[in-house]
Amino acid sequence: MLDAHPAGIPRPTPPRTPEGPELMRAYIARHAPFFLLVVILATQFLLLAYQITQRHHARLIEVWAVDAFDPFERSLHGLGDVVSGAWGSLGELSSAQRENSRLRQELADARGQILQLSEAGVENKGLRSLLHLERQIPYRAVAATVIAASPGSSSSVFIDRGKTAGITVDLPVMTAAGIVGKTIAVFRHTAQVLILTDASSGVGAMLGKNGTQGVVKGHGRGLCYLDYVTNDEPVSKGDLVVTSGLDQIYPRGLLVGRVVSVARGEIYQKIQVKPAAHLDRLENVLVVFGSSPAHKNP
Amino acid sequence: MPKTADRIPASSRIHPAAFWISLFAGLLLQVTLPIEIPLARLFDFPLVLTLYYAMVRRDKIFGTLLGTGLGLAQDALARGLIGMFGIVDGLVGYLAAAASMKFELDQMGARYVVTGVLVSLHAPVLILVQHLLFESPPRFVLLDWVSGVIVNVALALICYPVLDRFRRAA
Repeated sequence: MLDAHPAGIPRPTPPRTPEGPELMRAYIARHAPFFLLVVILATQFLLLAYQITQRHHARLIEVWAVDAFDPFERSLHGLGDVVSGAWGSLGELSSAQRENSRLRQELADARGQILQLSEAGVENKGLRSLLHLERQIPYRAVAATVIAASPGSSSSVFIDRGKTAGITVDLPVMTAAGIVGKTIAVFRHTAQVLILTDASSGVGAMLGKNGTQGVVKGHGRGLCYLDYVTNDEPVSKGDLVVTSGLDQIYPRGLLVGRVVSVARGEIYQKIQVKPAAHLDRLENVLVVFGSSPAHKNP
Repeated sequence: MPKTADRIPASSRIHPAAFWISLFAGLLLQVTLPIEIPLARLFDFPLVLTLYYAMVRRDKIFGTLLGTGLGLAQDALARGLIGMFGIVDGLVGYLAAAASMKFELDQMGARYVVTGVLVSLHAPVLILVQHLLFESPPRFVLLDWVSGVIVNVALALICYPVLDRFRRAA
């Protein structure tokens, strides 16, 4: 066979085409951000699956995050009080300056005093009712202040008492008006309280009038449902719902709320319950130790 | 508008102190504000910050890592499982950065449109992840979704101009 290529002239090399591994490397390099996203999402899915199967309570990252933010939450809470106090004083001062006559100034002062007294009275009343409640219930309890809400979709709050006050998980939390929820995570100086309207909350409860048992479950929108009450049980609007004590967390007989609507279901009635405690404006709460009266200190 | 070959959107940098302070302040406000203002429960500061920084930096890896980091911090501060917000915020960060590379987002209006679209996507994706993982996931409530989108776009309207003050060309 004849070689058509002239002798002495180097044969031109064909352009080099990238091979399989190089192509793959180039492809991965070009789509690196997407692959990183996939890896990160997959890792977190595995982490979630692990948590769901293991049901861990307080994880290290939670402890770190809460400990890091705790001092700032407390400071901000305190700062808020100082600023609102200063703002109030400034308002009073500017209004006093506007008053020209002595009588009007006295009137403004008197109004300011009345306001302060009424605010102090409201706070005093709240604290007195808590103190009264603490003495009334046959369990040891510790008072706490709500310092922060939980971010995200869950209904929970942080209180300013934690391990150092002897708080553990699964302790009932209440106000004078009724139960609030239970502790679900405890840190050194703070604890997280799951509000009873949270979708994952459940409280062993019964109707105050006849002792019909059920479970109060959160609805996530400020209301709860009393589940597992059959259609033949007499339930009417306005009935009181109290804790049954069967869940081993909440002591028997604490007020949960009041029935606001009743509808028949397939087997169980659909009973909507409005919590007795003002859950959207929580300030001072009591953490109750144990569901057995033996826990009460002498 | 879509980018052209001769016009690639330029990324910007934010002053490092402003960046870290804004992230910290966002997380802090997320946990403290709802105590004073019940409506603030609808705010999602970490989401708004993720969207802003991802769009400004125009870097998919940065957007993904920032969204994931803020989401994990949000998960750690909430009662929720670790990774729930991490997944959704990471995805949203990636998409915001991708949108900023594809479109010219220097105009405020375009930025708010992308913000609105991605904020609208956030809740359904979160619900989807919960459906994939839980036996009885929470229901999708349309009213909550709509109010969440409106409130967070309004939050972006306030936050973006403030954060823009600390922006400089890369």
